[in-house]
Amino acid sequence: MDYSELLTVAADLGYALLRSGAEIYRVEEAIERLLRAYGIAQPAPFVIPNCIIVSFVTPHGEAMTQVRRMPSHGTDIDQLERYYDLGRRLCREVPPLEEAHRQLEEVRRQCRTYSFPVLLCAYFTVTLFFALFFGGTARDALAAGICGLTIGLVLTLMTRLHANLFFKSMLCSALSALLACTLTWLGLAQHSELVIIGALMALVPGIIFTNAIRDVIAGDMVAGLTKIADALLTGVSVALGTGFALSLARLFWGV
Amino acid sequence: MTDVLFSVLFAFAASGAFAVIYNIRGPGVLICAFGGGLAWFSYLLSAPLLHSDIAQTFVAALVISLYAEVMARIRKCPVTGYLLVAIFPLVPGGGIYYTMEHAMEGEVNAFLASFLHTLGLAGAIAVGVLLVSSAVRMWTAFRRQSSPMKKEERP
Repeated sequence: MDYSELLTVAADLGYALLRSGAEIYRVEEAIERLLRAYGIAQPAPFVIPNCIIVSFVTPHGEAMTQVRRMPSHGTDIDQLERYYDLGRRLCREVPPLEEAHRQLEEVRRQCRTYSFPVLLCAYFTVTLFFALFFGGTARDALAAGICGLTIGLVLTLMTRLHANLFFKSMLCSALSALLACTLTWLGLAQHSELVIIGALMALVPGIIFTNAIRDVIAGDMVAGLTKIADALLTGVSVALGTGFALSLARLFWGV
Repeated sequence: MTDVLFSVLFAFAASGAFAVIYNIRGPGVLICAFGGGLAWFSYLLSAPLLHSDIAQTFVAALVISLYAEVMARIRKCPVTGYLLVAIFPLVPGGGIYYTMEHAMEGEVNAFLASFLHTLGLAGAIAVGVLLVSSAVRMWTAFRRQSSPMKKEERP
């Protein structure tokens, strides 16, 4: 068997899983199980949020290692489920390595994301219903929906420009709060704070926080602490952005 | 009563839309939406018993983690997706906002109170998720040890 090929397949699988937002233990487990299925006695995957190291000793006594650097990434549950399924299938069937490689490629092709308009609609709906959820009126909800649309637009644009996470959430929250105050001033919305809170829900670090807890439970303290710090900083930058916009709005319109 | 119904409905719809943002497809969207509704329903349902939103958030986090684990086993896929999205109605977005507002107005006491309260809510979610996941992990390990032939997989 070509062990360097096996190493690449295992690292590819781990990389795809981590990139779609899987927990650390899930990535490590997937790599380890795959290598064991292919007859490696003591596989040693080591994963932290921005790096994957896969290492093992082949039956001929040769040590092999591959390191992958992970760029910052979002959460893509569909991709996560597909690669997780693929990992389990590979362990069950243990196909030849070329076949495994081909299947990885195939899953990569199959992964789809929602189109941009659908995504914008989703942002609109999220903020609209959260404004209602927090007790806003129908007009507040509409205003929050508009803020949500702006958040979706700006987030996508900034992600394309590789802006960092904190700047992104700060700018988005500032823009949406400013917009909320403007809409209240124009008379569309009635309660500016409910509009702002509804729109904020699209930015609060709920996902990172829950993921951090799951990492801590699994005993991956490095990943857990990094993500908790990430969640706290995101929360602070959302608050800062909103605060900045509110003081501006008070300066201009006194709302 | 209609208030309860409506807010659960709003949580349902908002969670469904969140599922789309995190690229969940097919029936998963509905499962997440139900999770979000269930989270808020259990929050409201436990209100007459507990009278404290931190305790209510804790109960809701417990319920929703259980729900996510069950759904992951039924659909044989990672538990992550359902849990991440369904927890959203519990996330203290309002808390972050009011904390910021008090800070801006220089009301130190109100700021500290709402800051600690927000942290408490986040902590309640954390402990709820933690308890259920840890229990499930222990149970899986127990089953694995009692039947060494059968390799259980953790969804």
